[in-house]
Amino acid sequence: MDNRRNWAIRVLALSGAVVSFAIGIPALLAAFSASIQGRKKHAWRTVGVADDFKHGQITPAEVSTDRADWSKTLDRLTVFVWRQTDSRFVVFSRSCTDLSCPITFDPGSECFFCPCHGGIFAKNGTPLAGPPKRPLYRYATKLRDGKLEIDLHSLPPAY
Amino acid sequence: MFKKAAAWAIDRFGIDTFYQSLLNRRVPKAPWYSGDGSTLMALLGIQVITGCVLALTYSPSTDSAYQSVVYITDQMFLGWFIRGLHYWSAGAMMIMVVFHLLRQIVLGGYKSPREGTWLIGVPLFFGVLFLAYTGYLLRWDERSIYGIRVMLQILGRVPLVGDSLVLFAQGGPSIGPATLSRLYAFHVLVIPLLMFALVGFHLYLIVLKGTMTKGERSTPIDSVSQQREIYKSEADSEEKGETFFPFTMIKTGSMAAIVICLTLSATVLLGPSKLYSEANFTEPSMPAEEWWYWWLSGLIALLPPSIAPSAVVLLPIAVLVFLLALPFLDRSQHRGARNRPLWILFVVAIVAAILLLTDYRRRSNFTAWPDAKLPELPAGMTLPPEAEQGRITFARYGCNSCHAVGKADASFAVDFALLRGQLSREKIREYILNPPAGIAMPSYEGRMTEEQLNAVVAFCHVVQTFPLED
Repeated sequence: MDNRRNWAIRVLALSGAVVSFAIGIPALLAAFSASIQGRKKHAWRTVGVADDFKHGQITPAEVSTDRADWSKTLDRLTVFVWRQTDSRFVVFSRSCTDLSCPITFDPGSECFFCPCHGGIFAKNGTPLAGPPKRPLYRYATKLRDGKLEIDLHSLPPAY
Repeated sequence: MFKKAAAWAIDRFGIDTFYQSLLNRRVPKAPWYSGDGSTLMALLGIQVITGCVLALTYSPSTDSAYQSVVYITDQMFLGWFIRGLHYWSAGAMMIMVVFHLLRQIVLGGYKSPREGTWLIGVPLFFGVLFLAYTGYLLRWDERSIYGIRVMLQILGRVPLVGDSLVLFAQGGPSIGPATLSRLYAFHVLVIPLLMFALVGFHLYLIVLKGTMTKGERSTPIDSVSQQREIYKSEADSEEKGETFFPFTMIKTGSMAAIVICLTLSATVLLGPSKLYSEANFTEPSMPAEEWWYWWLSGLIALLPPSIAPSAVVLLPIAVLVFLLALPFLDRSQHRGARNRPLWILFVVAIVAAILLLTDYRRRSNFTAWPDAKLPELPAGMTLPPEAEQGRITFARYGCNSCHAVGKADASFAVDFALLRGQLSREKIREYILNPPAGIAMPSYEGRMTEEQLNAVVAFCHVVQTFPLED
């Protein structure tokens, strides 16, 4: 009978849909958990004692990263500290603003160089040559008890 | 007794049905050069086998991944061979999958009734590219980590959802253990499972609808029933058809055999690809992309800076949409290379572009880089004291990061030896203190003493007389 057949088809379709959604939706949501849970608003890290940094110079320094704490490696990140005055600091991200290659600072020419496609930045982060068009990214900074701190989450996650 | 056992096995395991419907079926005769699909299947098989062997030892934890790759390469018995074969087969697969795609475009292999085969093939194509990308990252060396960062930068540029995509790709607020876990999960589980399903579907449709035949190429075709008639008459005829096993297989298998030989030779002669130092975010590094991306880097470098960042995101999407739409865009009745000269031109242009862009990238001296070494003097030359002092100052102030000396066009900025006495000392001095606006050279006003400046000027002036290296 057609009615019986239609009824059986509907039951199959409905139960199939219920099971798919009951399993599939949580699975999809869990897969995207990192995007859903997002980042904490701030991630302050200590760079070093403020007075250790000489005025007017760019000094590389290491901070601890905000990767999950159940692993050991990738725990340190290099940043560039520029002490402008006693209390004014600029901390540049190591990411070239073109494609995130790790830039290096040359004290002789006082320029930042990117090894990937010849990007060059001036001491104040302005792009001088090569593909980069945006100035170097700067972290939010603060001084606390004589220590310089940066907020890793003040830059978008890819930088 | 053996015959009875064999007959039982053949019946219980359904071998006879398989044999009759797949192996013993009649198909139109295939040309010798039509083995690209079989080659891809063979390479996929090699990747699965070598991949499984690698997975027996590889550790997908950021703390030990790199060391496990070193162990596989240096200590595991035949580890270098398995890893090398996996690498070279991946390269061969990249080339073959592009060849397979372009050949079907030239033939018109996506025309009815094979649109389904083509539409399943397009995600297979992107699957191979994705596998090649994620596999390379599993080494977890310097190149891998910056390969990830480039992709994250590109993902971050997608409007609205960019940051969410980056967090998903990273598996957390930054690159960490979950990043490698998901790369491994995609490379070993998710994409292979999807690929197997799609390959199975692709093969099912190939058996059902066949591949392009000589008869189909000899006349314009305007309906599916006409195509079916031509196909059937060829398959059934004595001179125009053959049984798939062993006659078609021996022909399509020959290309597979040749490519496998080439991959094995490359593995034995060249070994696995170079492993750089372990992934980290503190040491200076000089990342560079693998050779199969060079054409893309070259293309992005040539695009105007206003569209290059969006092009990186939009280009792959545009290619995907174009490929999926192709069977519906190309409505001509002609099949076969001889009847499609414009498509041949199109494919030749694409191949030429890829080769030229690859060569452009290979030749490009992109990098200016700080170097504390003193610039070399021509053999036997000693400089007067002021110029020699200038030579030392030249290196100390990083001038040689951008300016080569006597190397003829090897540097990012002007090599003074090329100027052949065009610049006077006054002009050089003025340039150092006040470089023109819009060029990368920083001003050294207030940074050098008068004595240092005179010395550098003397050096640059003398360099203009250096003989040029060939």
